Amino acid sequence: MTKPNISNQSVQPPEVMIGAISRLLRDGEWVATGTLSPLPAAAALLAKMTHAPHLTTLIYGDPDFRLSEGFHELFALAQKGKIDVFFLSGVQIDKQGRINLSILGDYDRPTVRLPGGAGSSMLSALVRRVIIFTTSHNRRLFVPKVDFVNATAADDAPWRRGGLSHVVTPLCTMAFDGTKKEIVLESLFPGVPLEEVISNTGFDLAIGERSIPVMNTLTDEELTMLRGPVQERMRLIYPQFAASVWGS
Amino acid sequence: MHSDLMKVRRDLKTVRDPYSGNEYVVVLPVIPDVAIIHAAKGSRSGEITTDATRNDRLLAMAAKKTIAVVEELVEPEDVLPGRQEVFVASVHIDAVVLAPGGAHPTACPGIYETDAAHIREYIAASKDEQGFAAYMGKYIFAPEDHGRYLETVNFRGGKQL
Repeated sequence: MTKPNISNQSVQPPEVMIGAISRLLRDGEWVATGTLSPLPAAAALLAKMTHAPHLTTLIYGDPDFRLSEGFHELFALAQKGKIDVFFLSGVQIDKQGRINLSILGDYDRPTVRLPGGAGSSMLSALVRRVIIFTTSHNRRLFVPKVDFVNATAADDAPWRRGGLSHVVTPLCTMAFDGTKKEIVLESLFPGVPLEEVISNTGFDLAIGERSIPVMNTLTDEELTMLRGPVQERMRLIYPQFAASVWGS
Repeated sequence: MHSDLMKVRRDLKTVRDPYSGNEYVVVLPVIPDVAIIHAAKGSRSGEITTDATRNDRLLAMAAKKTIAVVEELVEPEDVLPGRQEVFVASVHIDAVVLAPGGAHPTACPGIYETDAAHIREYIAASKDEQGFAAYMGKYIFAPEDHGRYLETVNFRGGKQL
């Protein structure tokens, strides 16, 4: 296989997001990724090859991830409490960290009907940490209040195991403040002005007087692993995504 | 429990767990009248092997009747699951249909990939009634049998073609 010459390319936006998600994963955690989740899949692989060698990765679509019966086992693992981290996205996300995957507009007369929440209601409650990732950052996505709630960030249900941990967008990382029960801006990606994040977010990010740090750029080690072994595995798991980031 | 699904899905109920005392959401089991699943291998006796990353075994076990469409018919002793496959016993299968390429335009993992170009064509065609009717005419009604369908879509995947 000829390796594309990517070593001299500047760091691309998806690579920054992969690095940001990777750094949120902690050594020893069980991390599962569902369908259509190339960024989290790459991040889990990267974390395992850098700071979290004892990570257990359950990556849907990975030839090395074997199940004995079917994909429903992933839900059973979540019920048992074996999944520490799962990734969700949304068509709308609000300040309280609620996500919408079902409809836009009124439920009975929607302007757009979306594929639906799948396991998001259940998984968001039964895994320890949810990381939301988005592939855009604008006011249609980050809204004051979602039109439909598929999954909540936190609530007082006695069986709830965890909840929203972070949100990673193409511009920044946000954290979920468990005391105030709201999303707050955590860090900006290199080169992204604070104003750009504020103007593209439809709710207040609780910046106040805080000085928002800029995330450290990807280290040489991270970039080498990402563009080497992670990139090679991603070509098996998400070939189209890999080609879009690293060329074909 | 705090999702809006509880407002719009009247079939979702809550019950109190008599052991923990916690309130839980319960749903009725899904029991399809007929399940149609696609599998890599099957035998005339009705056992099959199918992709482990889907939920086809669960589906076959839940449905009242299950039809398995297979890429290849083999002897019963050769129905052995591969690395990413599971075995489904014949007690869960009511009919086996041999149709190589039968999953087209979606994938049969390990044998052929999704025909992305065809799916794009379908999505474009289904944007209006006229386009959808033209699609149905060309690909569904015009081909006389499955073989002709595969010729029409220029199928290049399966093992036996």
